[in-house]
Amino acid sequence: MKINMIFWGLCLFCAGFMQAQTQTITGTVIDGSNNLPLPGANVVVKGTNNGTQTDFNGYFSFEADPNSTLVVSFIGFITEEVELNGKTAVEVTLNEDSQSLDQVVVVGYGSQQRRDITGSISTVDEEALDDRPNTQVGALIQGKAAGVQVISGSGKPSSGFSLRIRGTNSINASSEPLYVVDGVPTTDTRSLNPSDIQDITVLKDASSAAIYGAQGANGVVLITTKKGKSGKPQLNFDTYIGVSQVWNTLPVLNSEQYRDLMTELGRNTDWSRYTENTDWQNVIFENGLSSNYQLSISGKTEGTTYYLSGGYTKQEGAVRSSEMERYNFKVNLSQQVNDWLEVGTNLTYTQYSDVDVADNTSVNSGGVLLGVLSTPPNIGIYNEDGTFTSNPFQDWENPVASTDGSQRQYVNRRLLGNLYAEFTLLEGLKFKTNFGTDYSSATNDYFLDPFRTSYGRAMNGIGTYQTNLSNYYILDNTLTYKTELGKHEIEALAGSVYQKYKWENSFLERRNFASAEITTPNAGSELIAATADKAEKSNASFLARVNYDFDDKYLLTANFRADGSSNFGPENRWGYFPSFSLGWRISQENFMDTASIINDLKLRAGWGLVGNDQIGNYAYFGRVGSGGNYPIGGVVMPGTYPASIANENLKWEESEQMNVGLDLSLVKNRIQFTADAYIKNTRDLLLNAPLPRSTGFDNAIQNIGQLRNKGLEFQLSTINTTGEFSWQSDLNISFNRNEVVDIVGQEIFAGGIAGRGEVSLVREGEALGSFYGYVWGGVDPETGMAFYIDQNGESTFEPSADDRRIIGDANPDFFYGFTNTFSYKDFGLTVFLQGSQGNDIFNATRIETEAMIDSKNQSAAVLDRWREPGDITNIPRAESGNTDNSRLSTRFVEDGSYLRMKALTFSYNLPQSLTERLQLTRMKLYATGENLFTITDYSGFDPEVNAFGASNTAVGVDYGTYPQTRNLILGLNLTF
Amino acid sequence: MTKNNIITCIVGLSLVSGLFSCDDQLDLRPISQETTENAYSTGTQLEAALTGVYESFQSNDYYVWDKIIFQDVRSDNYYAGGDNPEIFEFDAVDVSTTNSRVFNAWSSIYNAISKANLVIERAPQIQEGITENQREEYIGQALFLRAYHYYNLVKNWGGVPLILETIKSTDPSEVRIPRNSAEEVYAQIITDLNDAELLLPDTYGNDASINKARATKGAANALLAKVHAQKPNPDFEAVLSHANAVINSPAGYELLDDYDQLFDGNNYNNKESILEIQYLGSDEGTWGPQMHLPPSISGDTWRKFVTPSKDLVEAYEEEGDEVRKNATILFEAVPWIDEYWGNEINTEVPFAYKWRNASGWASADNDYILRLADIILMKAEALNELGQLDAAAAEVNSIRERVDLPELTAEDMQNKEALRQAILKERRLELAQEANRWDDLVRYDLMVQIMNNVDDVDLRNNQPVDYNVSETDALLPIPQNEINRNPQLEQNPGY
Repeated sequence: MKINMIFWGLCLFCAGFMQAQTQTITGTVIDGSNNLPLPGANVVVKGTNNGTQTDFNGYFSFEADPNSTLVVSFIGFITEEVELNGKTAVEVTLNEDSQSLDQVVVVGYGSQQRRDITGSISTVDEEALDDRPNTQVGALIQGKAAGVQVISGSGKPSSGFSLRIRGTNSINASSEPLYVVDGVPTTDTRSLNPSDIQDITVLKDASSAAIYGAQGANGVVLITTKKGKSGKPQLNFDTYIGVSQVWNTLPVLNSEQYRDLMTELGRNTDWSRYTENTDWQNVIFENGLSSNYQLSISGKTEGTTYYLSGGYTKQEGAVRSSEMERYNFKVNLSQQVNDWLEVGTNLTYTQYSDVDVADNTSVNSGGVLLGVLSTPPNIGIYNEDGTFTSNPFQDWENPVASTDGSQRQYVNRRLLGNLYAEFTLLEGLKFKTNFGTDYSSATNDYFLDPFRTSYGRAMNGIGTYQTNLSNYYILDNTLTYKTELGKHEIEALAGSVYQKYKWENSFLERRNFASAEITTPNAGSELIAATADKAEKSNASFLARVNYDFDDKYLLTANFRADGSSNFGPENRWGYFPSFSLGWRISQENFMDTASIINDLKLRAGWGLVGNDQIGNYAYFGRVGSGGNYPIGGVVMPGTYPASIANENLKWEESEQMNVGLDLSLVKNRIQFTADAYIKNTRDLLLNAPLPRSTGFDNAIQNIGQLRNKGLEFQLSTINTTGEFSWQSDLNISFNRNEVVDIVGQEIFAGGIAGRGEVSLVREGEALGSFYGYVWGGVDPETGMAFYIDQNGESTFEPSADDRRIIGDANPDFFYGFTNTFSYKDFGLTVFLQGSQGNDIFNATRIETEAMIDSKNQSAAVLDRWREPGDITNIPRAESGNTDNSRLSTRFVEDGSYLRMKALTFSYNLPQSLTERLQLTRMKLYATGENLFTITDYSGFDPEVNAFGASNTAVGVDYGTYPQTRNLILGLNLTF
Repeated sequence: MTKNNIITCIVGLSLVSGLFSCDDQLDLRPISQETTENAYSTGTQLEAALTGVYESFQSNDYYVWDKIIFQDVRSDNYYAGGDNPEIFEFDAVDVSTTNSRVFNAWSSIYNAISKANLVIERAPQIQEGITENQREEYIGQALFLRAYHYYNLVKNWGGVPLILETIKSTDPSEVRIPRNSAEEVYAQIITDLNDAELLLPDTYGNDASINKARATKGAANALLAKVHAQKPNPDFEAVLSHANAVINSPAGYELLDDYDQLFDGNNYNNKESILEIQYLGSDEGTWGPQMHLPPSISGDTWRKFVTPSKDLVEAYEEEGDEVRKNATILFEAVPWIDEYWGNEINTEVPFAYKWRNASGWASADNDYILRLADIILMKAEALNELGQLDAAAAEVNSIRERVDLPELTAEDMQNKEALRQAILKERRLELAQEANRWDDLVRYDLMVQIMNNVDDVDLRNNQPVDYNVSETDALLPIPQNEINRNPQLEQNPGY
């Protein structure tokens, strides 16, 4: 058998040898990501040195055997082999290899090849951003990077995202990561235009983030925008139209059932006046239309690269009146002036505007979502005189009064960008100076007319105007030196950074308007408020980094950064943040079989300290506020009040992080696996420690306590098939455990639910985001009253405060994302699943809709309420004004696990024959559906909820939160 | 320039800018706020700090409105009205330890105390722009205000932590202060008021809108009269002498001739007034009136709060007290139902009417903290307790006279107990909605008896309301939220 094989092999070899005759082989190489020609690709005959490179137009021509196999490769692309089978002209499409070890990854103050990275880094590339609604960066990161939890507080177009990289690191200081756009740090990502983004790098561990020192404690998200790539100017036009909808409705009582409930509560009225049967969900939820147009031109000529873009995005919300609109312009330009100087700029101007709707609050306070659920169906939208209707028993106006009653708009005009110059002083020695700015001027308009709403009538109309000016600049200077000495490769960096923020705010309000014709405050006769204030913050830093690489086997990175912050007093102003990390590329060792299926195996380990000063400006001062004014003698006298307690010892919150990781690449890099394990200990927490109110203060900022996050992250990327039918998969899964190790025995409450107290508790030994409340027992069949289980395990109708305990945890056991990308000929399909497992949600919406204490409409669940002795049910009796039956308890804790089809994209590239006739380089049509289905046991509108936004402590509470929507878009990409 | 020159210049500049980025650039001071280092250097700054103490009357919900919930709604004078479960708890005398109004009141009163402590502490150190006279007046006012706030604490919660200095350390051992006894708190109140009485002037000139805005000698004596009566072992001699000091004050306090004028909105800072919370409307306005006033005045259609009780209306009617009834209560047909007054819409429902102008949540209606009629009745109470029944009755009659009521009958004056009842009733009719009733019931030791005898019927189920009150209900619970912050605090019995 064995001999046969060898024999036939020899025969084939000889046959091949004998038939070898050369002819001119021609072809083009196409970049699969954009269907453009790929210049500079290598084309060689397999097993030989015979080969060539593609030219400017992706064209190649050389002499070769028409029966040979061509190997076509390009850095950053998956190598393709093409059997000629006698053909002399071929077209080869190369697909980008996001997993390539040669891929250059942007890291802080520089870039590195993926193979050399020793820290823990995730990247999200352009492809993940393609074909998705062009709304917010946060939405595009979700589910794409291990260890990065994207928390969307609300589904409204105006809502931002909150990111938690490897858990929540602080109790009171911000836990949001630092965003750096082309070298300019920023915090507001709402107005960034995703379609200008080339890729996103997430620096997760201390050793990679430490170069950002003080600002890096919560991780760093580096956003790089597009640059010109090809010599031929490339014109791109992208557009889509779409629709978004609330994918779920909740059953509520109908008119008759509402009337029954009110009668049971002893509330009577002239019901003949309330004969409507309005479906408020139908009135408020609508199809929100969206549209997007982006035009860009980019290219590269000698010494110059450029990228220019302009665009417009508009998104109407799925909730009446909410919307977002964005105009964006961008210029990225770099010029090699001569052999020692390069200058460049990246500039973005954005005008972002939105119309917000009030969510996360009850109907009494104008909350739209709770208004939808708790407004009785018995009333219509308008009274005969055009005013808004109210609850038959209360002046709670219907939710349309909240969405339509006022005119309001937030507009932010923002310039974000930098200017840099890079000098090559000597071979390998470069000096770069960079000036960046983030300047935004926001205005907020609000007008409540004097007629239609009851509040408007009481005030005779309200007009307010608010401005918020934010002026930030950064100046950094870095010196880098790179050299190779035999097997030693050294790169060193040193620099200084200075950053300054200045905020200016003003607000004015007038009331008493004669009409609704003029909506600006000037038409109101009564001045209610007119104020302005300013604040500043500055940071200075010195940084240094050494990367050392021995023989491509042993890698070392060391960082050091000294940071000063104006938030701390002279004693403790400076913090020092070192980090080290090591990498060992085992696969380079001689003992590893070169023929092994292992292409790369790298072990990484890192340790570092990072700091956090995000606690508020002038934090260490004992500040004295003004505005405590009081009229004496008919004159308003100026008054002051102590606003905070001085703390000269206030210092940096420190996070000590350890990370070990493994990168494994198998089967010609077709399988890539990354695993990381980490422990983060945050010490000297900047804690707004609650004080007894008898001190006169609510809290004081102190450095106390300790918090720990530890976790595991796995990322697996596979290229399952290549060629005509290609299939790639990408799976990431993250486990994080959070524990409050020490807060000097204090207990901090958060997450106030109207009329019921606070549901979130920070307690030693528990995770941040723990729910605290009573243990639900059931409903007493005799009285219909709820009973609870006390601390002794006995049932009681009147539990005491001491009977409360931890009743849930908003932190997931794990969360994950799973993307599959298929392509067949000109068709593409991307299936992106995303989910979270094991997290609890406190459904406080149900407290509003199941408590049966007042004249709010209730959910259909209360049809099962107790009505007469002997009824066995889980829903207590209706009892006016009595909250005993709806205490914060396990009754409202639900499993918030979900798995959802986050995005499904189907795309089609028009064949070249057609595009050429249209004089196009490329034309792609696509359809994307977001949140097409969701598997969850959660009973609310949507399991992705967070009534308290970016709060570190009150997490996973649903209190009439604007739900995530189902979005459909149809799009077109044209390249000329 | 050569390449090297250019580069040298730029690197040099950058290094300089790097040096700039050192400590000087990081030493930023607040732009729109003062700091404790520069906020209390001059007399005008001290006065601003004192103004900040007064401002608590406007910014603390307790003083703006909630004191009416704590005193009049919790007692037999008013129902909760409105739609707020936490206010229903007060109406039902079943206040939970997590009731946020209890915590807010506790917190904001202590906040006012901390501001008063600051003035008392800083005043002696200020050298610039201050006369000795001013210094004394500022300290006197701060002492009065601190005493007034402690008086509100001790009557709501009993013994509370006595904190007489600003916070110096946030160390738990320094800030977790246990409760003092009620007696200790009263003793401190009396000490502060006695000191204030010495430091304060009778008037600050002729401008009534200053004299009724700032604490005066009269205010200190008036409060002393009330405090000596309210404390666990009343000192009626002291009540009498301080009440007399008010009545005979050079400030010239006198009853207004027309009771209604006290509340019509046109006569604030009048001669009967001793101390008032001042409002000007607009951004110096009060939202309290909007909570009470009927649709015809407020323009609102929603159910109003603080609805006069049947018991209160009957009390006026039994007495034939038309003047005070009409000044205190307004009836109006309303588009909502009321569980006590009418189970159908368009029933006539009474409204709390001692504030008359809603003005879009920004009313200019002032609020009496201390007025002469109250002190005259305190004097009557003291005289009665001291056995001078005739003199006591004469004081009561002076109050009755102006509202066209006959003098007390012989039956009313037949013994001390009968006269006590008459005085208590007189106080109720005179001072309804002015946040006195609960204190009066507790002081007369009649709270349990009276509350359990109220016969209200809830029309929704036609069941009589059982308030089921016991002695421990006299005090509110120490807020659970405060106990969470200060485990040293012991909860009041019954909670």
